Amino acid sequence: MRPFTYERAADLGAALAAGTVPEAARQHIRPEVQYLAGGTTLLDLMKIDVMHPERVLDIRPDAAAQPVIRSEEGGLWLSAVASMAQAAEHPAVRRDYPVLAQALQQAASAQLRNMATLGGNVLQRTRCHYFRDTAFPCNKRQPGSGCSAIGGVTRLLAVLGVSEHCIASYPGDFAQALIALDAEVEVLAPEGPRRFPFSQLHRLPGDTPEIETTLRPGELITGFHVPTLPWARRSLYLKVRDRESYAFALASAAVALDLRDGVVHEARIGLGGVAAAPWRAHEAEMVLQGQELTEACAGQAAEAAFAGAVAHDDNAFKPELGRRTLVRALMQAAAMEP
Amino acid sequence: MNGDDHRLQLDPRVTLLDALREELGLTGAKKGCDHGQCGACTVLVDGRRELSCLILAASAEGREITTIEGLAAAEGVLHPMQQAFIDQDAFQCGYCTPGQIVSAVSCVQEGHAGSDAEIREYMSGNLCRCAAYPKIVAAIRQARPQMERG
Amino acid sequence: MSEMIIPSGVIGRDTVRQEARAKVTGAAHYPSDMPVPNAAHAFLVTSGIARGRITRWRLEAAQAVPGVLDILTHENTGQESKPIPPTKGGGGSTTTLQSDRIWHDGQIIAVVLAESFEAAREAAHKVRVDYAEEAPAATFDSPGVEVQVLEETLEAHEDPRVGDAEAAFAAGAVTVDATYGTPTQHHNPIELFTTTCFWEGDRLTILEPSQFVQGLATTVAKQLDIAPNKVQVISPLVGGAFGSKGGATARTAWIAVAARWLGRPVKLVASRSQGFTIATYRAETRQRVRLAAGRDGRLQALLHEGWEVSSRPSNYNVQGTETTSRIYACPNVWTRVNVVHADRNTPGFMRAPPDLPYGFGLESAMDELAIALDMDPVELRRINDTRREPIKGLPYTSRSLLECFDAAAEAFGWSRRDKRPGSLREGDWRIGWGCAASYYPAKISAACARVALSAQGARVDIAAHEIGTGAWTVLAMTAADQLGIEPEQVEVHLGDSTLPAAGLAAGSSHTASICNAVAMACRELRERPTHAAVTANAGPLAGQDPAALRFEGGALRGEKGAAEPLAALLGRTGPMDAYAEHVPHGNPPDAPEKVKQGTPMTTGGAQLPDLIQYGFGAQFVEVRVHARTGEVRVPRITGAFAAGRIINPRTAHSQLMGG
Repeated sequence: MRPFTYERAADLGAALAAGTVPEAARQHIRPEVQYLAGGTTLLDLMKIDVMHPERVLDIRPDAAAQPVIRSEEGGLWLSAVASMAQAAEHPAVRRDYPVLAQALQQAASAQLRNMATLGGNVLQRTRCHYFRDTAFPCNKRQPGSGCSAIGGVTRLLAVLGVSEHCIASYPGDFAQALIALDAEVEVLAPEGPRRFPFSQLHRLPGDTPEIETTLRPGELITGFHVPTLPWARRSLYLKVRDRESYAFALASAAVALDLRDGVVHEARIGLGGVAAAPWRAHEAEMVLQGQELTEACAGQAAEAAFAGAVAHDDNAFKPELGRRTLVRALMQAAAMEP
Repeated sequence: MNGDDHRLQLDPRVTLLDALREELGLTGAKKGCDHGQCGACTVLVDGRRELSCLILAASAEGREITTIEGLAAAEGVLHPMQQAFIDQDAFQCGYCTPGQIVSAVSCVQEGHAGSDAEIREYMSGNLCRCAAYPKIVAAIRQARPQMERG
Repeated sequence: MSEMIIPSGVIGRDTVRQEARAKVTGAAHYPSDMPVPNAAHAFLVTSGIARGRITRWRLEAAQAVPGVLDILTHENTGQESKPIPPTKGGGGSTTTLQSDRIWHDGQIIAVVLAESFEAAREAAHKVRVDYAEEAPAATFDSPGVEVQVLEETLEAHEDPRVGDAEAAFAAGAVTVDATYGTPTQHHNPIELFTTTCFWEGDRLTILEPSQFVQGLATTVAKQLDIAPNKVQVISPLVGGAFGSKGGATARTAWIAVAARWLGRPVKLVASRSQGFTIATYRAETRQRVRLAAGRDGRLQALLHEGWEVSSRPSNYNVQGTETTSRIYACPNVWTRVNVVHADRNTPGFMRAPPDLPYGFGLESAMDELAIALDMDPVELRRINDTRREPIKGLPYTSRSLLECFDAAAEAFGWSRRDKRPGSLREGDWRIGWGCAASYYPAKISAACARVALSAQGARVDIAAHEIGTGAWTVLAMTAADQLGIEPEQVEVHLGDSTLPAAGLAAGSSHTASICNAVAMACRELRERPTHAAVTANAGPLAGQDPAALRFEGGALRGEKGAAEPLAALLGRTGPMDAYAEHVPHGNPPDAPEKVKQGTPMTTGGAQLPDLIQYGFGAQFVEVRVHARTGEVRVPRITGAFAAGRIINPRTAHSQLMGG
C-alpha cells in the first residue's frame, strides 16, 4: 500500500445519509479525491498495489446518522451510504422488490454487508486473478500492456460484453437487480447533482478496459432511485455458485415478471457472473414479451440472451450455465404466489 | 476500545486489526488473510460485526470497538457465547475462534440465529479450517436463549 | 520397551480442553501474538516467473521507501544459509536466496526489512527484478515435465507386489479399468505462516508455529552452521497446520539471518497468497486402477498405478500404494508410482493420511466394481475383508472395517437405498448415496517426557505440540490418570524445543507417542512413593503388597480401604520427578536420540516387519446435484471410526467431525 493523505468529511457523510447535500458539503467533491466508505473494495486492492490513490476522503457517516431508504415521488430512494445489510433488511425493499433484497442478501458475508455501502458496491472491481496480481500484464491496470487472462485461467471470467482486450467479469449482484428494475443513479459533481439511468453508469471494456464507468474524476454517487413497479413483487435473484454461500456467482439472474394468466406482459432480466458489466438481457425480454411462459419459451429467451456469447477455454461452460440459470429463475418467478 | 479511550499516532495505512494487535496488545483478533475473506479479524464496530483488516485505524476514530477481550461482562465471568463454545467444543486450533464468537454474538443480536440453516448462512463469513462448523452451530443454538434471557 | 497403559478413570473420560478458556477469551497466544519489543518487520518478495534466473535487481525505489532498513537478496545474503536438507527418501530440495535460480512461481527471492509492516509491504511492491525467463512446465502433460518411474530411479523405493496381477486381470470374470484424478489441494490453516527471530549473543530464538519444534530447531541450526543447542523454537499453540508446519521451510533461516544482520528481532507474517507457494501442498495425482473379481465378488487382481506431480529435484510422493495394496484380500497385486517433475514447489504431507488421494482411487474403483457385480458396496468389502495383508501376509493388529461399515450404514439409513440411478429425487435435486472405506496407518514415534509430582499436583514437560488436536489435554489426562489425580492438577509445558523431544505432531501419531512417554515417566514416578509407603515402619499401607496398590483419587490406595494421601506420601520422599524415553515397537533403540536430533522416527502402518496396524472407518454420504444448474451439495455425511483407544472422546469426536 502506497502512502496517501487521509481526510474525513463527517458533514458529507451525514449529508449523504440524510439524502440532501448542502452547498457547504460540496466543497469536498474534488477530482483528485478517492472516496472511502466501507473500504471493502478499496482497501483490499490498495494492499496489493492495484489501486493507489494519493488522497482518500472518508465519507462513511457516523454511527448516529441513519442513511435514508424512503419513498419519494415515483419510487424508492436508497442513500448511497446505506449499508448492504440495511437495504437488504428494509421492509419496503423486501416487500416491493424481492429481487433487490435477495441480490443484496446473497452477496458477500454478514460482516461485509455491514460495512459495504450501496454506492461502493456498484463500483466494485473485477475479481479477475490477473487484474489482482501486479506480476501480470493487464489492460485494465496498464492500458496496452496486454490481457493475461486470454489464454490463461478463465473459469470466472465473462462471456458477454467482452472484447479482445479484456474478458474480466463484473462480479456484483445488486447491480443486476438495479439494471433489471430500470433504476436511476444520482451523482454529485462539483457543479451539482445529476440523475441518469443506472444502465449508463458502467462501460463495456471495448478497447479501453481501464475506463469502467462514465463517472468523471471526483464524481460521487449519492443514491439510487428505483421506480415504482407494483408487479416487481414477482421477482427474485437466483445465484448459482460453487459454494452455497459466500462465493461470487458463476452465473446469476435477476428476474421480474409482469405475468397475467400465464402470459408475460413484461419481463425484466439482469444477468450476473457472465458479463463484463451489469447486464440487461433485452433480447431475452423481447422473446418473452406477449408469450405464454413455458419451459420452451424460457429456453428460447435464454438462447437469445447468450447468442452473442464469446467463451475462452475454461469458461466455455458459462453460456450453457447462464441459459439454464435464466430458465430456472424465470420458472421460479412464474411459480411465485402473486 | 472495550470501553476505554485510546490515543494513537499512526501511519494512515495502519488497519484497525494491526492497531489492535501491534499497538494495543489486543491479539485476540487474528490476521488470517488480511483481505476480508476469512473473518478471523471480526470485531464489533458500534455494535455491528465488521472486518477489522479492512478498516483503517483512522476510520475507526470516534467509534465504539468491541473485541473478544471485551466480551465478558465482568472479570472472570464468560459471555454465554464463550461458555457455549467451550461446552460444545466448538473449536480445535482456536485461531478462528475469537472472530467466530464475536460474529456469533452479533448474529444472534441481529436475529439471524433462528434455525441451523439460518445460522450457517449468516455465519458463512467466518471460515474454520479445522471444520468445527457443526459444533459452532450447536454452540450458537445453546447461547441464543441464554442471551435472549439477558 | 512398551507396556500397556492401564487406565484408571481419567483416560477415556470426556474432558474439556486445558486451553479452552484461553482460546475463547482471546488470551491464547500463538507465536505471532507474542510481544517482541523493538522488532523490525519483514515482507517477502516472491518470484513472478516459474522458471529461469534472476539477472538483475532494481532496488532503488524500494530502498528509498521511508523506514526500509535493508533488502536481502541472493546477491548480498545467499551464502548465509544452506538450503533445507532434503527429507528422508525425498531426493533434493529447491533453493531460495542461495542462488539466482527460480524453481517455481511464488518462490521467495528477497526479504524486505523495515521499521513497520506497512513500509516493508510498500517497499516489497516496489522491488523490480529482471529475469531470464524460460518456458515452465506446470503439471501433467505440460511440455518439459520429466516422468520418473520411482522404482527405477530410487533404490529405497519398493512398489508392493504379489502374484501375477496382469494375468489375473486378463482372466478376470468381472473387471474394472478406470482412471481417476485428484486436484491440487492446499493446507490453508487459518493461522498464516509467521516467523519471529531474535538473537541473544550467539543464541537464536525462533517463534514460529510448528508441528515439530525439534526438527525446525535442528534444521535451522544446520542451515546456519551453528550448534543445535544454540537454537530454541517456541510454538505455544499452532493455529492449524494440516502438515504445512511439519517440516522446516525456507523462510525461517532468512528471518534468523535478518535478525542477526540487523541486531534486533525480526517479525514476518507471510501473506495468505504467498502461503500457496512458500511451504508445501498436496500435489495433483492421476491414477489407473484395475480390479478383477470372480462373480462371487472376490478380488483376483488389483493393479494401482499413480502419477504425482513434484518439484524438479524432489522425489516426494505420498506412498499411497503402500496402503492400497494391503487393504483388501487379493492374491495378485501390482502397483507402481511415478513422479512427474515440474516447475513447482515441493509438495509435502497434507491433512493426513497423506496417501488419501490413492484411497480415493481405490475406493472409487471398488464402488464401480460393486456396480459391475450388481452387489451392495458394503457386501463387496465384507467379501474382501482380511485379517492379513496380501503382500507379505502380516497380521493386522486389529481390524474393525466391517464393524464401521455396519454401524455407519445403520446410522445413515443405508438399507433404505434404492440403487437404481436416477431413482432418488427431491424437487429439482437429484440425490445420490455412496460409501467408502477409510483407512489410516496407525503410527507412533519415540518420545521423551519428564513428569514431576508434588503435593499440589503434577507437571509435565514435553516438546509436544497443540495444533488443535487436543494434545495438551491428553497429556494432562494421562498424567492425571496414571497418578490418581485430576487433569486440573496437572500443569503441562509443551511447544518448546528445549523440552524433552517428542517427535512430530503429524499423521495422527502424536497422541500415542506422547501419552506413552508420559505414562512411562509416571510408572517410574509411582515406584518410589509406593516402595516407601509399604516399607515404612508406620503408615496406613505399611507391609502391603506394592503390586496391589493403586493411585486414585489423590491417594495411594490398598486393601480394606487403607489409603495414604499424596501429600503424606511425598512428605516421605519429597517432591519427585522422573524422565522417560519411550521406544515404541518398530522404532530402533536409538530412536529417542534421533528424535532429539530432529529426525522424525514416526513409523507403523505398513512399515513394520512383523505386523500391520491401521485404524479404520466407513463413511456414508448423500450428494445432491441440481437437475438444471448442476450445483453439487453434500447435506449429509455419516462416519463410523475405529481409532484404537480413545483418550479423550470430546476432542476425538471433534477431530473426526472436522476431518
